[in-house]
Amino acid sequence: MDWHLLTQYVLAGLVIGVIYSLMALGITFIYSIMKMINWAMGEFYMIGSYVQYALLATVLGPERWYLALPLAMGSVFLLGMLTQRFLLRPMYVGGVERRDEYATIITIALMVLFRNLAIVLGGPNQYAPRDYARPTTIGTLPISGNRFVALIGTLVLLALFYLLIKKTWLGRAFRGAAQNRVGIQTAGVDVLRLDMLAFGVGVALAAAAGALLAPDFLVYPENGAISTFKGFEIIVIGGLGSILGSLVGGVLLGVIEALGSVFLSPGYKDLYGFVVLIALLVVRPTGLFGERERTV
Amino acid sequence: MRRRMWLIGSLAAIVVAGLTAPALAQRPVKIGVLTPLSPPGDAAAGQFIVRGAKMGADDVNARGGILGGRKIELVIEDDSGTPEKGAAGYRKLVSQDRVAAVLGQFHSSVAVAVQDLAEQLKVPIFMTQASARSLTERHLNYTFRTHVIDTDRVQLWNRWIKQQGYKRVAMLAENTDYGIGLVEDSKKLFKTMDVQAELKSIVFDRAVVDLTPQLLEIKSWRPDLVVNIGVGTPSYLILRQAYDVGLFPATPMLVSYDMPARPEFWKNMGEKGTYTAFMVYYHPTMKLTPRGEAFRTKYREQFKEDPVYAALNGYAQVALIADALNAAKSDASDDLVKSLLANKFEGWNGTISFSRGEGPYWQQWTPPMLVLQYTKPEMPFTEAKILFPTEFKTGDLLLAPKR
Repeated sequence: MDWHLLTQYVLAGLVIGVIYSLMALGITFIYSIMKMINWAMGEFYMIGSYVQYALLATVLGPERWYLALPLAMGSVFLLGMLTQRFLLRPMYVGGVERRDEYATIITIALMVLFRNLAIVLGGPNQYAPRDYARPTTIGTLPISGNRFVALIGTLVLLALFYLLIKKTWLGRAFRGAAQNRVGIQTAGVDVLRLDMLAFGVGVALAAAAGALLAPDFLVYPENGAISTFKGFEIIVIGGLGSILGSLVGGVLLGVIEALGSVFLSPGYKDLYGFVVLIALLVVRPTGLFGERERTV
Repeated sequence: MRRRMWLIGSLAAIVVAGLTAPALAQRPVKIGVLTPLSPPGDAAAGQFIVRGAKMGADDVNARGGILGGRKIELVIEDDSGTPEKGAAGYRKLVSQDRVAAVLGQFHSSVAVAVQDLAEQLKVPIFMTQASARSLTERHLNYTFRTHVIDTDRVQLWNRWIKQQGYKRVAMLAENTDYGIGLVEDSKKLFKTMDVQAELKSIVFDRAVVDLTPQLLEIKSWRPDLVVNIGVGTPSYLILRQAYDVGLFPATPMLVSYDMPARPEFWKNMGEKGTYTAFMVYYHPTMKLTPRGEAFRTKYREQFKEDPVYAALNGYAQVALIADALNAAKSDASDDLVKSLLANKFEGWNGTISFSRGEGPYWQQWTPPMLVLQYTKPEMPFTEAKILFPTEFKTGDLLLAPKR
């Protein structure tokens, strides 16, 4: 066994797992607050990558890449808030009986719409933002500067998100909504406005993942598909609604895929995560850090 | 009164007949273009094929059309590089649009699905850039190809590998008919062609976007050459991620098809694309037929860039179908097949003829192949060095300085 190579595989899996966890966090956050699955998450990832590319290729240039990420996140945050305000809010104001079906139909429709809009506006080809950082190494792993920036960016965003949730009034409101939507309304919190913010924050996290990975995984209309399905895998492994679960699940998935693809077969790379997922569901149906939902 | 009614009726019939006869004569001949125009297919290739096919149709129509003045009308359909969309698109082209032939096939996996339908529905399908050996090896009546066969592609790079004296060759291939076919052919032909090199092949899932572990594994194996067998996005991902882990350009990389010849290559690769070696079927220094030359001139005028092979072949296939229909004096599919087998046609760089030969050389016409290399950043395709075959050589493989 070549230990040098083994550490490289593990590190490669770790890096990509951490970045994927950003996507999972967005999905799980929206689910926690709004109790709905956003099937168009990959398309918000895709929009984030397109905004990043467009900004770097036109207005900012590669040297001001650090501005592109917050701008991409900001624009998708606004788009998310508008989506919630005009398309998803009817779910919660008494007009809709079957909320789950409504949310599924709306978000799948959005997925098709955004994907086709990307083809109409940007064409079907792939784009790659110019590199904005020089190649480097993490331990034994040679890595592109872009992916290193993506790793650091992800860790910073995860820390900021943690602070937002744990240390601010808004975070307390989010946690309250996650526990009991009716309860926090009795405390005077406008839960519909909170939903709008939560959806915006959730899709902005997906956009951040898209923007950070754009130079490495390229920009094209279907580039969000893989991350979405990794995101769903991660939240099931880590536990729906758990921030720590998203991070640990992401890292676990990344490492399992990296090792499986080398020691078993790269042709079934996407399968290994599912095998772990099924095994985990058998022994711990709530995922690693998930908790059973309390019902009254 | 009754006689008068007869007279009016007869006159009306004559007028209607007079009006509809020219209309019938002008009924267009429809040709389908079934090609990847959206991901996960190689959409850039599909766009070039459509561009060339449109110019081909315009060209034929400007010369008065075919079969006594009938215009050619293209019906364009996106197969997205997926077999299910390809099959649905072909079915629609044949049953709804009533096309006389379908061209534009790029992905071998799609072509395999579509050619079975072509046998059932009896409308010829033309492979524009699908190269799996099995496509013509199955000896189907309605499948024609004017593109290279993977076996020929492997033979060419094997000859180059032998000439370069490489001892270790790694292949990273996507899990499609194209990728798996090339790996299998390479394994077979390494033995029969007596290539004195060790071969390591890794086949990956085409949907996977992070190939870092596979590239690290290849790097640790220390190959003399890496063959990149991805199509579209996977091909770019291999190049870019191989650069990031320090595998390429320290180790030369050969891209298995002409993707780097396209204008968007440098936009996507930046300086990471320097030292890329790649296979092409056309080079701007080639002498073309009068038809090919006219196309090249017109293309340069219209698009302010040199044509790429996909456009040339799309154009030439429309012209080929038009010539064959004219020779058949009919737009019936079976007459078209007979005509294609019985006649010779002017292609873009030579005369095209189809015979029913042995193995994959069935209803097959093969263009030339070259190995090129970009030796400096943003190098125009027209200036890329020809490395192989030796008779066309304009430069030696340039190795990258150590990073």
